Amino acid sequence: MLKSNRFKRVSTGGRSLTVQKNALESNEINAKKNKAVFGKAFVMNILSSPGSGKTSLLESIVPALKLEGFNAAVIEGDVETDLDKKRIDNLGVPAYQIITNGTCHLDAKMVNVSLNSLDIKNADVIFIENVGNLVCPTSFNLGEDMKVVVLSVTEGDDKPLKYPAAFYKSKVMIINKTDLLPALDSDIAKIKENALSINKELIIFETSCRKKTTENIYNKGIADFVSFVKEKIRIKAAEFQKQNI
Amino acid sequence: MHEFSIALEILDTLEENGYLDGVKKVNSVKLAIGKYSGIDKNYLEFAFQNLSDERFKNVFTEFVPNDSDEIKIIEITVD
Repeated sequence: MLKSNRFKRVSTGGRSLTVQKNALESNEINAKKNKAVFGKAFVMNILSSPGSGKTSLLESIVPALKLEGFNAAVIEGDVETDLDKKRIDNLGVPAYQIITNGTCHLDAKMVNVSLNSLDIKNADVIFIENVGNLVCPTSFNLGEDMKVVVLSVTEGDDKPLKYPAAFYKSKVMIINKTDLLPALDSDIAKIKENALSINKELIIFETSCRKKTTENIYNKGIADFVSFVKEKIRIKAAEFQKQNI
Repeated sequence: MHEFSIALEILDTLEENGYLDGVKKVNSVKLAIGKYSGIDKNYLEFAFQNLSDERFKNVFTEFVPNDSDEIKIIEITVD
């Protein structure tokens, strides 16, 4: 285990320069550029560990928004493949795949490049599916309006305590795969309690993306989240219009 | 292991703001690291020392913890 206490050494001297700057200043500059390009579209940066169901969630949400006349676009982040983009392509919305070639997160510059190719002129909402990782993506602002953390019930109720940054920085937590609860000892109340202990303002949705579920209760969370997204789209569009009059 | 990316971002920020102009060696970097920043301090020092920029090869890192999510460069010492 790499856990030495090596940080109490005194420096070897030299000229001291006071800096007092955000260490991620250059990423912030690109994030601001992205925000300007996003325009009226409401942008969600979706974080989670691998396999929590981010793409399945988009497969549930995007058609529901489309049915009600809202246009979505999707930026997919993946270490190695374009498998997720192919799934999004089936939904008939503009999508762009960023393959990071081993990098464990998306940064603002990668998104900046993707915006040269992705058609977002009609988009009301843009979903950025980050690389599956609950640590690294939390450090990088992509110019989004909101981070959303997805946690599946199979991951255990202690996840928010073990990976606090993702829950601290997100405005929404989606507890996914709730259809599996009867087969698990996972305690949904405990998941919420732990997440709210990190960020008491988290807005929480419980979802299932199973396509063949017979019980409507599993899909209520999807409907609630779609309503939430629609409201955010309207607010962002109104603010954008106000600023550009 | 995004600490390499963070180290590169810090290098960019220092370079773009002129702090490394004429600098032959960076002796230390003092950072404020929030507890929600998602940074592993050991890996960040390792990342600095393995940047392609040789001026950071023997850099010492000093971290000032706080309760935020920030990553801020407080001070550097250079030759």
